[in-house]
Amino acid sequence: MVNELLFFMEVVVGGLLAGTMYSLVALGFVLIFKASATFNFSQGAMVFFSVLAFCGFMQDFNVPFVFAFILAALLMVVVGLCTERFVLRPLMNASEDTVLMATIGLGYVLEGLAQAAWGVEVRRLDLGIGDFPVPWIADNLKLFISALDITAGIVATLMIVGLFLLFKYTKIGLGLRAVADDAGAASSIGIPLKHIMLLVWSAAGVVALVAGCMWGARAGVQFALVDLALKALPVLIIGGFSSIPGAIVGGLIIGATEKVLEVYIGPFFGGAIEGWAPYVLAIFFLLYRPEGLFGEKIIRRV
Amino acid sequence: MSGNTENILDIKNIEVVYDNVILALHNVSLQVPKGKVVALLGANGAGKSTTLKAVSTMLASERGKVTKGSISYDGTAIEKQNPSQMVGLGMVQVLEGRRCFGHLTVEENIISGAYSRKLSKSEINQELEKIYSYFLRLKERRKSQAAFTSGGEQQMLAVARAMMAKPKMLLLDEPTMGLAPQLVSEIFNIVKELNQKEGVSILLAEQNTNIALKNSDYGYIIETGKVMLDGTAQSLLNNDQVKELYLGISKKGRKNFRDVLKEEETSKKKNKKKNN
Repeated sequence: MVNELLFFMEVVVGGLLAGTMYSLVALGFVLIFKASATFNFSQGAMVFFSVLAFCGFMQDFNVPFVFAFILAALLMVVVGLCTERFVLRPLMNASEDTVLMATIGLGYVLEGLAQAAWGVEVRRLDLGIGDFPVPWIADNLKLFISALDITAGIVATLMIVGLFLLFKYTKIGLGLRAVADDAGAASSIGIPLKHIMLLVWSAAGVVALVAGCMWGARAGVQFALVDLALKALPVLIIGGFSSIPGAIVGGLIIGATEKVLEVYIGPFFGGAIEGWAPYVLAIFFLLYRPEGLFGEKIIRRV
Repeated sequence: MSGNTENILDIKNIEVVYDNVILALHNVSLQVPKGKVVALLGANGAGKSTTLKAVSTMLASERGKVTKGSISYDGTAIEKQNPSQMVGLGMVQVLEGRRCFGHLTVEENIISGAYSRKLSKSEINQELEKIYSYFLRLKERRKSQAAFTSGGEQQMLAVARAMMAKPKMLLLDEPTMGLAPQLVSEIFNIVKELNQKEGVSILLAEQNTNIALKNSDYGYIIETGKVMLDGTAQSLLNNDQVKELYLGISKKGRKNFRDVLKEEETSKKKNKKKNN
């Protein structure tokens, strides 16, 4: 009995920590959704692009780890700059759907550029953190939890705290929330939309890089990262598209439930339900709570 | 309105076209003297909002374009400016329909108005107190989410937010839309006070002709994109045609200026015939 309970705990904790990896990806989506009211289909490509560049700097040019990370982050700022200038600005008066389509195109461009620049083979990314159980926890708590998962958890926590402080207490954060509410009114009082867009896309790029590092260390830096990032979709549906805490909680819920379902219900379906179980959960949320757990309710004055 | 007074805003013969085909303004000229309140009056679709947006350069975001004429504000031609540059120059528009940031608190809304200014925390607090001294109601509701405040409070909030940018000139687009008469006069009192104490020049688009003229120095009446009549507020209030058409003091049914001009023309022709 005790063993079973321990096993269950292990499944849940492992799932929760794996969920923070989803949260990291989802954070990038939330940032852009807040400012542009658009689901950024290129977020997955941004993850792939950034982490591949990071690997490329380290492995092809022998740039030290820290500098390679900074270079890759700067590169994502440049990507943000170009996106604002060449994609968003010409589409400024276009509908949200048009921008949505543009992000799909942007995704293809980034995927292509990344592969043209760095090649198509799978790269190994060594962060110096192993993807195996931490001995100390295994000995003392009898739980087998990967060091990489724990790192992802810590990194995700730091990022959410950082972003929360940025939005709540800085001027540019206030500007971003104003733009998220009513871009026209924001520009009428002198909030420059292009600065906000630039900030948001750059921030989303850096978040993509961090998420890419975590995923790359686990699964290898490869094209599959692009599709993996779409796992963030059910996370966002559950957490709410415009909420940073929602991205985190949504990630945790998805991570834990998919693991628990896989272990306890999976066998009845012949296994591998991890892939689609989160989407089933998302459907239930769409039916009963479409704005997600933390999404901004549509406020109507009556 | 030419001569010795210095104009902060000078619109000369502008034509505005939306989507390259829809002619919204046709040869509109208008001046706002420094420190005065000018009312722009007319029915729905007359071109009031379009005129204001042409001035604040917000037209571009609605696929509108000034195709003829010129607008100069405080000595600068505004053609090459964008909305945030205009705010930097001290011209702020309060958009039609209030447009407060619903998910932000009242206080955050007001502070967001200072975005274009480089202020320290303590300076922002000073400015806030000054704004609250004009808008007492907002101080009581400072912590509530803007979307949950009343229509009147939202209108005050929109004006307060604009004032936070320390404008030299305010463009108010239908500030009294959908408000109870008591609130309408409350808002106009505040506007008047801002004009007198802060020296803000104001261009005001309104449908509520009576109260707008009572609180303005000068008025323009536009219909279907053309200025039909202009004059000092007092002269417009006493003008028989304005009385009949816009103030509802008439025995006959509703008409507009075009009908009046037609009538005048036909009566002229009749007179000519008689004379012949």
